Amino acid sequence: MMDWAEKYRPQHLQDIVGNTTAVREMAEWARTWTRDAKPLILYGKPGIGKTTAAYALANDMQWEVVEMNASDQRTRAIIERIAGSSSTTASLTGARRKLIILDEADNLHGSADRGGARAIIDLINNSRQPILLIANDLYGIPKELKKLCEPIQFRALQARSIVPRLRHICAAEDIRCDDDAVLASIAEASGGDMRAAINMLCAAGIGSPVLTERDVATGQKDERSTIFDLISGIFRGKQDAGLMQLSREVSDTPDTVEQWIGANLRHIGDLRSRAEAYRWLARADEFVGLTYRRQYYTLWRYATALMLLGTASAAGGGGLKGRIAPPSRWQSMAGGRRQKMIRTSVLTKLSSRLHIPQTTLREDFLTPISLMVDGDPEYFVEHLDLDQEELNFFLHDRERAKSIITAMAKSKREMEKRSKTSTAAQEVEQDPVDAEEKEKPAAARENQATLFDGF
Amino acid sequence: MDDTHTIWIEKYRPVQLADMVGQKEIVRRLQSYVRSGSLPHLLFTGPAGIGKTTAAVALAREFFGDTWQMNFRELNASDERGIDVVRNQIKQFARTSALGGAEFKILFLDEADALTPDAQAALRRTMENFAQNCRFILSCNYSSKIIDPIQSRCAIYRFKPLDDEAVAEEVRRIAGKEGLEVSDEAMRAIVYIAQGDMRKAINALQGAAIISRAITGPMIYEITSTARPEEIAELVDIILEGDFEGAEGVLHRLTRERGLAPNELINQIYRAAVNHPMDRKVKVAIISHLGEADFRLSEGASSDIQMEAMLAQCVLSAHAHRNNQ
Repeated sequence: MMDWAEKYRPQHLQDIVGNTTAVREMAEWARTWTRDAKPLILYGKPGIGKTTAAYALANDMQWEVVEMNASDQRTRAIIERIAGSSSTTASLTGARRKLIILDEADNLHGSADRGGARAIIDLINNSRQPILLIANDLYGIPKELKKLCEPIQFRALQARSIVPRLRHICAAEDIRCDDDAVLASIAEASGGDMRAAINMLCAAGIGSPVLTERDVATGQKDERSTIFDLISGIFRGKQDAGLMQLSREVSDTPDTVEQWIGANLRHIGDLRSRAEAYRWLARADEFVGLTYRRQYYTLWRYATALMLLGTASAAGGGGLKGRIAPPSRWQSMAGGRRQKMIRTSVLTKLSSRLHIPQTTLREDFLTPISLMVDGDPEYFVEHLDLDQEELNFFLHDRERAKSIITAMAKSKREMEKRSKTSTAAQEVEQDPVDAEEKEKPAAARENQATLFDGF
Repeated sequence: MDDTHTIWIEKYRPVQLADMVGQKEIVRRLQSYVRSGSLPHLLFTGPAGIGKTTAAVALAREFFGDTWQMNFRELNASDERGIDVVRNQIKQFARTSALGGAEFKILFLDEADALTPDAQAALRRTMENFAQNCRFILSCNYSSKIIDPIQSRCAIYRFKPLDDEAVAEEVRRIAGKEGLEVSDEAMRAIVYIAQGDMRKAINALQGAAIISRAITGPMIYEITSTARPEEIAELVDIILEGDFEGAEGVLHRLTRERGLAPNELINQIYRAAVNHPMDRKVKVAIISHLGEADFRLSEGASSDIQMEAMLAQCVLSAHAHRNNQ
């Protein structure tokens, strides 16, 4: 018996659920592929179709697949032996091309994979075959590698687009499911992860010809209470023992519960009481932090007790004013982590260019450098090889960063095109207006003391 | 077999899924895997001593019958951690086909949360590549320590701590077979120290049985180096009265005369305090002090001073609260 996620893996791009833009871009890339085309990086959360899309693409194009991943020892030698040969030699089976799929490209840092990134870069530079990289986290991919590739983002799937797929599998497996709410709750619980959803369905459906809410409840989410019960219990003055019991039934970890409580402290009207609640939430937060930093999970219970009882004590059973809000911080939290990675990447680049330690840069130089970037963004994009996010780090203006990067990419493409056409047909004259326009910023730069001269 | 050399948790480990105490719903799901002959990868999460390993072994026995030992392998990730274990040992087992007509093997990886993220990343692919030959059952205390891509590949079962009645039932069963007499007080003591952990309960029972066939409450507390709940309740009351000397006296009696481990004592005070009907303001203050002391002890601070300081802080908080009223 096969794993259902494997068994029902879509074979063609058109069968893939969700991520239509990404899939279209992939098909377009494959259709117009030449040796000069950049490899693609497919990135996004687990279980949303990256690997599936890669295989489906190969299938649609009738390309052979050579796949490698982190559980192969990704040392230089092996990459060169396996992928190197397939990339430069012609295919034996007569298929037109070979698609080289490098899975877990964000996982190259382990010491066992030393030299792996370098080998992949060499491979990309020498390959005569199309290459796809797959990763969960775009920022986990070494910069030099990312630079050579075109990123395509895969997004978590909507619960409503997961349901039809589950229904299809039920039909194929002869499982009766009269209640769509059951499938909807599986889809909801999967968090947009198709594979998790199918696994849950499998866990619930195996051995039971009729699927009911009860099967689902035991298959995955076997908690009897939800975070909403817990939050409402805290503010409505539930007794201590009841709160502690609820927190055991809710499967969320203390750090998640903490976010939920934080997002709902506005239900405490009185400022003094709200400050009191924050005091205990902050204390709980200390214990959450210590738990992770020290890997000493006993401390979790203090975090839980303090955030529940501390907030309940401050709220004084005042109840809820309005609905329970999910932590709005979630999005900005993910954003915060991202922001940190962008900052690190910018500082690494600056530090190696300027020979100044990163901490010094951060403390003393960021403001002046930001001002200089603001004055001549193109120059810095060029010299520091900044992407849009990194440029925005200096400019704090998303729109402007985007338009600068787009314009630069466009003019670069045009230049490449022009240099190709001019070599092909040297007779063709350059457009005088265009040439003049390009000259201007270059001239302006000459009179400007640049950052790199200065240091 | 020489009885003095058998560990009871092994001797009385349920052989069949149906014999398991508690986790009824999970058992029901696992049995239906056996009936249908198919199995996805599984992830068992939950605290120690509540049946994760037992469930995995019993599942393998029922799946494979006589050939279960050939087709089932148990690895403990915290013994043999690291990326190379996954790459070599696990792959070695996973890639060879199942024996005795079975369709696949089962690899049980206990304490999978001890694997480094690197090793987990390697494991994730192995799981997928060898899914034809081998199903994985991973077990861990905290699913948050398992990387997302693996969670995405498994059906997740959250084992809950056993309730007191389930623990008592199993203890009664074993006591019956061993011909022991367990007093009501002893049973209460066993349930109290177990906190839903069957392993603790059975070990305490076996420990006490070595001393005598008639098992009493004090024996259980003695053998497990645990204070009686009444003693802890007394300590909490003394703290709330604001009597530091008195609290210190109880502390010394428990740690110096009875040899209780300070972190076990903190654990007991914590449980008593959380369930105590005192005012919440004092309660959270006390829990905060307990947590601080627990953390400092774990960092290697000296236990005498930390425990006394903790009591002093608790007494102070109780005082402050009383003055506020």
